[in-house]
This record gives sequence, C-alpha cells and structure tokens, in this order.
Amino acid sequence: MADKYVGRRVKRTEDPRLIKGLAHYVDDIKLPDTLHVAFVRSIYAHARINNVDVSEALNVPGVVAVYTGKDVADKVGPVPCASALPDLKVPDHRVLAKDKVYFVGHPIAAVVATDRYAARDAVDLVMVDYDDLPAVVDVEQAAAGSTVIHESFGDNIAYKMSSGEGDIEAALSSADKVIKQRILHRRLAPIAMEPRGVLARYYPGEEELTVWSSTQIPHLLRTQLALMIGIPENKLRVITPEVGGGFGSKLNVYPEEALLGWISMQLGKPVKWIETRRENIQATIHGRGQVGDIEIACKNDGTLLGLRYNVIADLGAYHQLLTPAIPTLTGLMLSGAYKIPAIQINITACFTNKMATDAYRGAGRPEATYVVERALDLVAAELGVDPAEVRRKNFPAANEFPFHTATGLDYDSGDYEAALNKAQQIVDYKTLREEQKRLRAEGRLIGVGVSTYVEICALGPSQAMPAGGWESATVRIEPTGKVTILTGASPHGQGQETSFAQIAADELGVDLNDVTVIHGDTGVVQYGIGTFGSRATAVGGTAVLVAIQKLKAKASKIAAHILQTDATRLSFEGGKYSLEKAAASAAGASEPVVPVGEAPAAALPEPETNGRTSLTIQEIALAAHLAKELPPDTEPGLSATYFFEPKNFTFPFGTHIVVVEVDRETGDIKFLRYVAVDDCGKVINPMLVDGQLHGGICQSIGQAMYEEVVYDEQGQLVSGTLMDYALPRASHVPNFELDRTETPSPVNPLGIKGVGEAGTIGATPAIVGAIVDALSPFGVKHLDMPIKPETIWKAINTSH
Amino acid sequence: MKVEGVQHIDAPRAKVYQLLVDPVGLSRFIPGCEQLERTGDNTFAATLKAGVGSIKGTFKSTVKLEDLRPNEHFRMVVDGKGAPGFVKGSGDLDLSDEDVGTSVKYSGDIQVGGTIASVGQRMIQATAKMMAVQFFTSLERDAKPSGDTSSAPPPNFFRRALSWISGWLREFFRKR
Repeated sequence: MADKYVGRRVKRTEDPRLIKGLAHYVDDIKLPDTLHVAFVRSIYAHARINNVDVSEALNVPGVVAVYTGKDVADKVGPVPCASALPDLKVPDHRVLAKDKVYFVGHPIAAVVATDRYAARDAVDLVMVDYDDLPAVVDVEQAAAGSTVIHESFGDNIAYKMSSGEGDIEAALSSADKVIKQRILHRRLAPIAMEPRGVLARYYPGEEELTVWSSTQIPHLLRTQLALMIGIPENKLRVITPEVGGGFGSKLNVYPEEALLGWISMQLGKPVKWIETRRENIQATIHGRGQVGDIEIACKNDGTLLGLRYNVIADLGAYHQLLTPAIPTLTGLMLSGAYKIPAIQINITACFTNKMATDAYRGAGRPEATYVVERALDLVAAELGVDPAEVRRKNFPAANEFPFHTATGLDYDSGDYEAALNKAQQIVDYKTLREEQKRLRAEGRLIGVGVSTYVEICALGPSQAMPAGGWESATVRIEPTGKVTILTGASPHGQGQETSFAQIAADELGVDLNDVTVIHGDTGVVQYGIGTFGSRATAVGGTAVLVAIQKLKAKASKIAAHILQTDATRLSFEGGKYSLEKAAASAAGASEPVVPVGEAPAAALPEPETNGRTSLTIQEIALAAHLAKELPPDTEPGLSATYFFEPKNFTFPFGTHIVVVEVDRETGDIKFLRYVAVDDCGKVINPMLVDGQLHGGICQSIGQAMYEEVVYDEQGQLVSGTLMDYALPRASHVPNFELDRTETPSPVNPLGIKGVGEAGTIGATPAIVGAIVDALSPFGVKHLDMPIKPETIWKAINTSH
Repeated sequence: MKVEGVQHIDAPRAKVYQLLVDPVGLSRFIPGCEQLERTGDNTFAATLKAGVGSIKGTFKSTVKLEDLRPNEHFRMVVDGKGAPGFVKGSGDLDLSDEDVGTSVKYSGDIQVGGTIASVGQRMIQATAKMMAVQFFTSLERDAKPSGDTSSAPPPNFFRRALSWISGWLREFFRKR
C-alpha cells in the first residue's frame, strides 16, 4: 500500500446512503401489525393530577389501549440517574406522571392505536383534571425556595458542592485587581435533526424484546431498560439504526424508551413512537442553564492569581442520566488554558419546573470555557492590554506538560502558544488591530474576539466515569478476506464507519472498501460504552487499533507455521507476511536486493513452503477458518477483541479569532473573519475534523446570537417550535478558515485527542468577545447571550 | 400577558352596559362562542371555538362577571380548557361617556398554556387584540340606536369575517 489512509481526506463511506435517502432511521423500519403510540403531556408546569379519564379516548376507532401513571407505577422502574454525587437528592422519576406533573411536556398517559392519527386524535380526548400549582421557573428563586417542587426534600436544592485547589481567599485579597461579573448561560435545546424515536417488538414465544431507539448508547440503554422493565438483559436487544444527530440529547435513558418496551410486552405487538418536534423541544433534555458570578484576581502585569465561580445550575424538574454531573464538569475545566494557582467553584444545583438539563455538546465545559475566556477579556479590558497578550502571559509552556491544574486535572500535552501564534498569523493580527483602530476613527464598529480554549475529551478513565470509560472493538477477517470491525462506540454522524476503516485498512494493508464497521446493535456487537464526550475515536479507535495488533500477532504465528519459519523472520507490509528477503539482515548486508542465485552468507536453509514466500492476511484468514494448517494449540478463526481503558483524559486546545462588524443603527452583526486553529492531536481524517468544527461553530453561533429556551413566568414553554426557537441558518454562518497544530496525546497510541465538541467550546467566547470588543467604544464590557440586534441597540443607546 | 385597549362604541352607555352583561349579548359578541348558559348569578358556562393560527379547538369555559357597577364597570373572569391547552384570565372593563357614544376601556391579564402557548405564543397578543376588536365590533352593531339589529338574523360567516377584517384594519391604522 503506497499511501496510508490515515491522515487523508477520505470521503465518508456513510454519505452515499444518506444523500440518496436510503439510510434507515427508526421511523424507516416498518414491521407488520405495528401499533403507534402518542403521549398525553402536561400543559402545566406544576400541577396536581386529580384524575385522568381515558374513557372517551378508548372509544376512538383504532385505539387499542391507554396507559396512565397509575397503570405503570409498579410495573416500570424509575428513570435512572447515573451520578454518584454524595448527598444528591434524587426524585422518584417515573415514566408517566401519577399524582403530580412537574414540567410542561411531562408525559401523563400513552395512547396506543393502530395508526398514528388515531393515537394523536385520542390524545385530545384524554381528560386530565389538574389543580395547577405555582411554578418555580427562575433558578435563583428556586434556590430561595418559597415553593418546593419535590415536597419531601424540603427545598429545591438538589446538591451543593465546592471544589478546587489553592487558597482562593488569599488570592482575592492579595490581588492588585479583582474583577467581578455576573454571566448567564441560557438554556439551549440540542435540536438533533432527527428527533427521538423508539420501536419495540416483543417476541412472546422467545420471550425476547428488541428495542430500536435513536440513541447514542445502545449498550448502556439495554442494561438500564432491562432493569426498568424487568426483562433479563440477555433477552433484550437494543438496535441503533441510523441516528440523525444527538449532540448529547440521546446520551440518555428516556421514559418513552422503557414504556414502549413494556407496552410491546403487554400487547405482544410491535409499537412505535416517533417524537414530534414540539415534543423534542419540550421533553428532550436541554443544555446549559447556569447563572454564575465570576471573580477573577490578577496582578497589574496580567498574571492570574485566582478564579472563583459561584454558580446556580438549573437542573429542571428531574434528573435525567447525567443531569447533576454537568455542572461538576464546569468545575473541572475552570483553569482553561492558563496557570491559575487558586480556583474555586461553588455549585448550587436546583430543581425547577422545567425539562431536565443534561449533556448538550460540550456538557458543562462550554460553560467553563466561557467563564474563563470572558474573565480573561475582562482582565484585558481592565488593564488596557490586548486580550491575546493576557492569554499568552498565562499559558503553561509546552515543556510544562503534563500540566497540573488547580481543578485537579493533569493536562496531557499541549503547545497553546503555537496555536495562538498560528491563528494570529493567519488573521494578520497586528494589521487587523491597526485596521480596527482606523475604521473605528471613521465610526465603524469592528470587533476582534480571541478565545484560547482547552477542553477535556476522550471520556475517560473508568475511575472518573459513572458507567465505565473504556471502549471495545472486535476485528475479524472473514473467510473471504473481508474485514469486519465491531465497535462499542455508536457513531451517529461522526463518520467512524470511515475513520475506523481507515485505521484498519492501514494496519491490515487492505483496501478501505474491504472493511466494514458495524455498530449499534447489542445483538451483534460486544458491550460498548457509546459515543459522547469526544471519545469514540480516541478511545474506541484505539480499541480497534489494539484489537488489530492482537489479531496480527495471531496471524503472524499462522503465517510462520505455513511458511515454515519463525514469526520473527516475517515482515508485514502491503497486507502480506513475507519471508524477510533471504534474512539478509542477519548478514548485516545493507544492500536491499540480493543478487539472484547468490545465497547470502548467513542465510538459513530455505524452508519447505511449496514455493510460497508470502501470505496475504486474507489467505491467513482463510487458513485460520479451514483450520487445516494451524500451529498446535491455535484457535481456529481470525478475530480479536480488545477493551481499551485510557489512563487519562485528553486535552485538545486551540485558538479561535473572530472579527465582526456591528451596525450601529440596526444592531446587526456581520462576521468579517472566522479563523480557528485547533489542536486535536493526531488527525485520522481532516475532512471529518473540519466537519466537526463546522457543525460545532454553527451551534456556537446559535448560542451566542440566537438560541434560548424560554419559559414564561408560569413555566409555559414559549420557544416551543422552530419558528420561535431560533437556530442559525446557512445565511447566518460565515466562511470558516480552519487550520491546525498537531500535538499528539500521550494517552493513546494513536495520539488522538478528540474534536467532537471543540466547536461549541472554543467558538462561543470568541464570538461574544468580538461583539463586546466592537462595542467597547460605548464602554460595554460584557453582554449576555444570545446577543441579538436588540441587545446591541440597547447597549449602544443606554451607554451614554 | 397583558391585553389593553380603548374602544369607542357609537351607542349610549346604558345600552352598551346592558348588552355587555347580558348572556344573549355576550354569546353573540364573543368570537367563536357556540353556547353560553347562565349557571348562577353572573356566572356562565360557555363553549368556545377558538385558536391561534393553526392551533384551534373547542374550549369549555366558565365566565364570571364580578364587581358590577351598572353603566360604569365590571370585571370578567374567564377560565377555559380544551385540547389546545388552557386560557385563564381576567379583565376590567370601564365605561365612560364621550361626546358621541361610549368609550370602553379594557385591561386584562391572560395566561395561556399547552399547545397554544408553545406554538402560538408569538401570535397570542395579536389574536387577543383581534378577538377584542371582533367583540366590540359585534357589540357596536347591536348597540347602535338607529339600527334594529336586535331582530336581525345572526351574521353569516362572510359578514362576520368582513367585520373582523374591517375591525382589525381599523385597529391597525389607528396605531399608525
């Protein structure tokens, strides 16, 4: 193989089926006699349920059954929360509300009918008698707690936690400057293009249940569903067909998934539920949702001394899988890319009458990066120095890694200044700042924002994870020579069918098209953890690599046996094990070619190999399957499985520089440049990395300028459709100028760090920084997201 | 959500007041009212067909009139529930004489929930305003002293639609 696949812009093998509309999502799977489920959901944020009358709904032609909270209360177990925080208050979260509803969209009853329309019509006929209660909407009021959501807890505080190292009080009291700022991280809706969907089929004869679900974690879901429904885990199969995006919103175990499985078992028929977009915004987890106060302490020369972040986190009404853990991830990343000797986070996590928050692309880390980067901008503004220089001054040097932070992490590797330098060079920073000054004098509002982020990826060592942090791979070569990879990761847009095939094709010396990557079926694939936390390639890809190395160790033994030599005398190249050319190396000959007919001095006797001097890996696979020529004590077949446990997280980083122009009359924001230099370690496929950044930056633009889940004072979800919840569109997104530095991670043999969340982590503060910089002539130092033209107009018109 | 406005009605104050607190009148003026029955002193049960944009449905409502000061003031409290969600609200209506006719000042607070809140939120204010205009347009038609509209047949769909639109346009241009 002349060219390696790894490192090349190989086109995604997933794309043809997606582009042609030939992929199979949950809703594309049609089973005969399927019943359809629609949910009755609460229209109140907080109410007591007096009665649920289903009699009229049952009269609708086609309606087969209606299940209420009472029907399932002792049949289906609670929705799980995987967090192991000490003293965490965990409400009893049932799949259907029984006595009370806690948020708009809270499922109350499930209507099952022969078609979707009948089910939907019957939903309107289920009469729920509510007594509405005061809703707790504002998270600060929730903390104060006049109305208690879960009465038995006595207050709305799910947990309080403080963490960090160093003497923060000393840092704050001895600093030349202490800058304070309140900042808001609004609730965001992940809005995967494909909403959630579940199809469940129970086979009464076999007593087996298959659940197709649009999830990121098929195996974890299987385990949890088995516990919830009470079916043996080995009788439950979870299949994840094509998944149209997750962004963390499908890294969860939802009431609907368990309920559909249970209903199928009751009725003995397949049942399907496809989430509507309105349900998706109401009852799929939200992200972010923090109100925080920053205090940053520094010397007059810009040296950082300490950072304190007091945060109230809006958890929503219940814990979903990782809800309480998200703010703790914020705490982990508060050192950013800087040496900050003292850091403290004080978390107050509160229940509110809203949908649960949980992992949305970045999951707590975008909040941390935003806090740190905004703090650095405030320091720069206070000291009157360039924001890039304040950052540079506080970077750990490239030779200081592994770098220990006051949040208790050890950053694996990095060269933060190299990324900053490269980005500044691309954008021509010096000229840009001069140009900004010149245009400002003309009255134009140009702003430059810089973010030098670091993120935590490749989640993660099992010690630090609630449900295991390893990943698995099986590699096997079929009798016909085709290579099959079974990965425990569950890609849903990340392109690992391509990137894992690239790794395998290189390692095995086979054509990329001969490799198939299978994932997302617990009936086929060994247990895996799944895809989230920018882990699939760094952890799952490593598992693939090591599994291949294991497989090759066996293959070389078989090859040596067939070629009647010693495995150490074989070389592997181009997909073939070959006898080292007359073992020339033994003679120390530097000549690459041995003259024909002339045996080298120290050559071993030519083995009896029926004339064969090499075997392809496919020939070995066939031999292994036929098992006629195997060395003694060798198992037939050619496959290997490996579970990779990483020693540490990885810490990708980079610099994003954004240039905007703000229209002083209309408040409109125009992007002039978007430059990103990201370092995600070794790159398997640059096109996939670019794609991850494009998508992530788009979502950052959404967060910075458009998106906000809004509940009104009564807890009604006001931003309930895509007409009201503003996602950025193509015309809102600039051209991205992407580049990279490459600092391999020492944590895995591929040197990969991960890139899935870099966009949503690195971009937001740069965009906000640029807009604030544009408005600095008006004395603006900070604006809360989403920064809309209206925000800007107000900032300009109230500053004087 | 606040709904406020002032509506001029080309009819004497006593007549306007009488129509406003009369169930027969109310059932004619409330847009989409299909049924209105007295259930007690100044309390009524109503069935309304209403909606915001494409979110339509039937609401079973109670309407209560409170704080009645004849020819001057009353308070209307509405509590409606239906498939598209719920509507709850109350409003004060104050009547005063003008050179010609009567001025009705209304000021209320409306809460909506369910689908109409999540889907129709951005249109609720406009819809509420429109319904108010429709309400007063019908009222004025009945209240005009010259007209014998009380014996006229109930307005058909097109007439009603036309009056909605004209009321809406009038309101629209008044703002300009």
